[in-house]
Amino acid sequence: MKAIKILERVLTTIPIMFGVAIIVFFFIRLTPGDPVDIMLGRSAAASQREIEQLRHQFHLDEPLHVQLGYFLGDALRGNLGYSYIRNKPVVDLLVERLPATIEMTIGALLISLIIALPIGILSAVRQNSLLDRLSMAGAFLGISMPGFWLGIVLILFFAVYLQILPAQGRISYDVELQEVTGLYVLDSLLTGNLPALKDSLLHLLLPSITLGAGVAAIIARVLRSSMLEVLRSDYVKLARAKGATEWDVVMKHALRNALIPTVTVVGLQVGVLLGGNMIVETVFSWPGLGRLVVDAIFNRDFPLIQGAVMIYAITFVLTNLVVDILYTYLNPKITL
Amino acid sequence: MNRVRMIQFSALAILVLLAACATPTPQVIEKVVEKPVEKIVEKTVVAERTVVVQPTAVPGRDTLVVALARAPSGIDPADHSSREAETVIRNLYDGLVTRDKTSGVHNEIAESIKWLDTKTLEIKLRKGVKFHDGSELKADDVIYTFERVFKPNAIEFPQPHTALRKGFLGPFGSAEKKDDYTVVVNFTAPWPAAMQMLVHTQIVSKAYVTKVGTKGLIEKPLGTGPFKFVSSKTGLEEVVLERFADYFGGAPDLTPVGKACVSRAVFRVIPENSTRVAALLAGEVDIITEVPAELVDTLKKVPGVQVKSVAGTRPIWMEFNVTQAPFTDVKVRQALNYAVDKNLIIKKVYNGLAQPLGGALMPTNNFADPSLKPYTYDKAKALALLKEAGWTPDASGMLMKDGKPLAFVIDTIDSLRPVTEAVATMLRDVGIDASVRVWEYNVVRPKLLARERQAYVGDWGDSAFDPVGHIEAKWHSLVTGSTYGRGNFSGYANARVDKLIKDGEIENDVAKRKVIYNEAQKLIYDEAPALFLVLPEAIEAAAARVQNWAPASDSRENLHDVCLK
Repeated sequence: MKAIKILERVLTTIPIMFGVAIIVFFFIRLTPGDPVDIMLGRSAAASQREIEQLRHQFHLDEPLHVQLGYFLGDALRGNLGYSYIRNKPVVDLLVERLPATIEMTIGALLISLIIALPIGILSAVRQNSLLDRLSMAGAFLGISMPGFWLGIVLILFFAVYLQILPAQGRISYDVELQEVTGLYVLDSLLTGNLPALKDSLLHLLLPSITLGAGVAAIIARVLRSSMLEVLRSDYVKLARAKGATEWDVVMKHALRNALIPTVTVVGLQVGVLLGGNMIVETVFSWPGLGRLVVDAIFNRDFPLIQGAVMIYAITFVLTNLVVDILYTYLNPKITL
Repeated sequence: MNRVRMIQFSALAILVLLAACATPTPQVIEKVVEKPVEKIVEKTVVAERTVVVQPTAVPGRDTLVVALARAPSGIDPADHSSREAETVIRNLYDGLVTRDKTSGVHNEIAESIKWLDTKTLEIKLRKGVKFHDGSELKADDVIYTFERVFKPNAIEFPQPHTALRKGFLGPFGSAEKKDDYTVVVNFTAPWPAAMQMLVHTQIVSKAYVTKVGTKGLIEKPLGTGPFKFVSSKTGLEEVVLERFADYFGGAPDLTPVGKACVSRAVFRVIPENSTRVAALLAGEVDIITEVPAELVDTLKKVPGVQVKSVAGTRPIWMEFNVTQAPFTDVKVRQALNYAVDKNLIIKKVYNGLAQPLGGALMPTNNFADPSLKPYTYDKAKALALLKEAGWTPDASGMLMKDGKPLAFVIDTIDSLRPVTEAVATMLRDVGIDASVRVWEYNVVRPKLLARERQAYVGDWGDSAFDPVGHIEAKWHSLVTGSTYGRGNFSGYANARVDKLIKDGEIENDVAKRKVIYNEAQKLIYDEAPALFLVLPEAIEAAAARVQNWAPASDSRENLHDVCLK
């Protein structure tokens, strides 16, 4: 029954994708700026005839509905077209960049959970204590610190000053790694390449902290407030009255319910992180999706923007689905 | 020790502040940033007294790592449109001719080049020049390269299209093989700029490209250059090259001649300025490009860092829309040239690393007229000229004419915002209500060509050091559908200048060409369709172990000569 429901939900993504595709298609074409002009470079000496030729080649000289027809027709066959600027299939470009973004997302999420879970729980259990105030102040700082600033400070301290962590990139150029999935940490494990594992983990650390700091702050705050609410509920009082240990009360009875809103927030954040974080990717020269898409927007690389936004849409829909499935485990009363 | 600590202190503080300033919304974030910056810097210094911030590369590393600010736009010599791409390509491929670190052209693959008449060029090729697969470069490869660049739709991947580098072959007509080492190129018109322009066409192997196609050439480039392609990652975010053992040595005029000095070279993209500098300080990279001018003094003080600069090739002007009042009046345009203190801009915005422009061509262009001196800063003269044009100050000092203030918006792009704001401030100082608006270039360009805007601060590349490719774009009147006036954002149109520009394009005699271009430059200088601003320098930095390195005027990183200590 659950499998059918999940399948239903997956199928509902199709009209969503269709809608997203059409909206993006028209919106990017409403933006001023001519892709052919950009492609030729700032001082290009192309004649009008050559410009027309390029425009024709990309179907940009045809009416919008005809262009939409080409796009949807190709998309249905799994072909998202060629990037104007990079002369490569859009699908290849996205596949090439996605692992970097996924890796940083997982890193950031792990870091944020490692920070946020204990802080959120402890500050709720010891409400108004010094620990609570300090951790909430820390959370406030985490939300307020802009990623580019935190990133640069971390680079300066750990890479330039202490010289114990790398400043940029995903892996050192002199470390050999056989790519399997594109996730370097996983690939190092799969190929049993310990130097690559160490190197890729070291490269991952600073970007993950930079990106995870803000997420950790959000999760800690949400978890704290939902824990506070749950800890005041009757069934927790009952558990205490039954003589359950404080550990059991908090971790077994309270946390499970308090996690429902937290999971929602984590789910949303995963969606945001998977979209690629342009700023952190730029600071750490991390070749992920965010930078690719921002470049694509500046270059008016229509096929690439369309492809990337479709990926974002799929990511959000699927993350929401995963969150909903998790709900059913956390609270069996909830159904899909 | 104290001095080192001071240097560390300031380097860190400036880097962090730079990072703070790099945000698209600085006003919002600045307040959050200021205090923590000081705290962290303070803490760092106290905690690590003995650490010296200086590049400490991996010991024994024989790999040269170069950090670029942007990813190359391609790796096909015929089909790219960025300087980063050219940098990578010219280490993998050679041209018939090459350029030294300034503007001199020297034979590379060509042994000799001579004009048989004004439209025919005879190129004799050096013997024994080998491609990376061991095959010898011959006349067929040169002809194939030219045709691939010039013929419509000659590039078949991903869809048939014309090469983006076509413009660099000028009025190419055809190329014929005289023998295996001699090519005769016929142009459809005289082309005096040929030598400077041919620097930008690199020769591919006919046999290889015919076999693997454009896709294969992009995936595994194969040239005759000092380095062979090894691998590239995630697009061209990282390109790894290794020394080509059978390299013919390069241009004999440019020493050292021989194989590349380093065994491996890596180009890595690090887009953020602060990270690029940090990566150099951390010893992760050896050479960094596009160093911000404001960091030069600090970096120079860091032990083990070399900072070098060279005149760039992107002169900056503020073009007036001469088709609209108040800029229809030449006196207003001249007055504004006197009202802006270019030397102050050079000092404050470019940290002294720029030179003032004396007209339409940058001073390092081979045909720039040295007798044209930059307009001097003379506020009194500016006000006198404005008065002659009918603009007089009111009680508050604002210039007025017929009850209306002298007010206009200066458009620009983000990278030129600081210089534009400096100009606007100086203009406000003489009573002009000037404000700044920042655009994306491709959005503002059509508006400028349609003469819808008032003034525009922009730059225009002149990396061929010849007026052709530059002067007809900026100062020839706009001829829709052609390349003439494609960058003419002022609407300037002078029939005599147009004629001179066209005459200069086909005059092969250098002395006569100079006379032609001097007259054009003088006319443009006097009529001042623009406020001639500055030519910024290209700044780069390297670790101490990098030897025999210097930035090149045309922004190319020629790694052939570079050695590592």
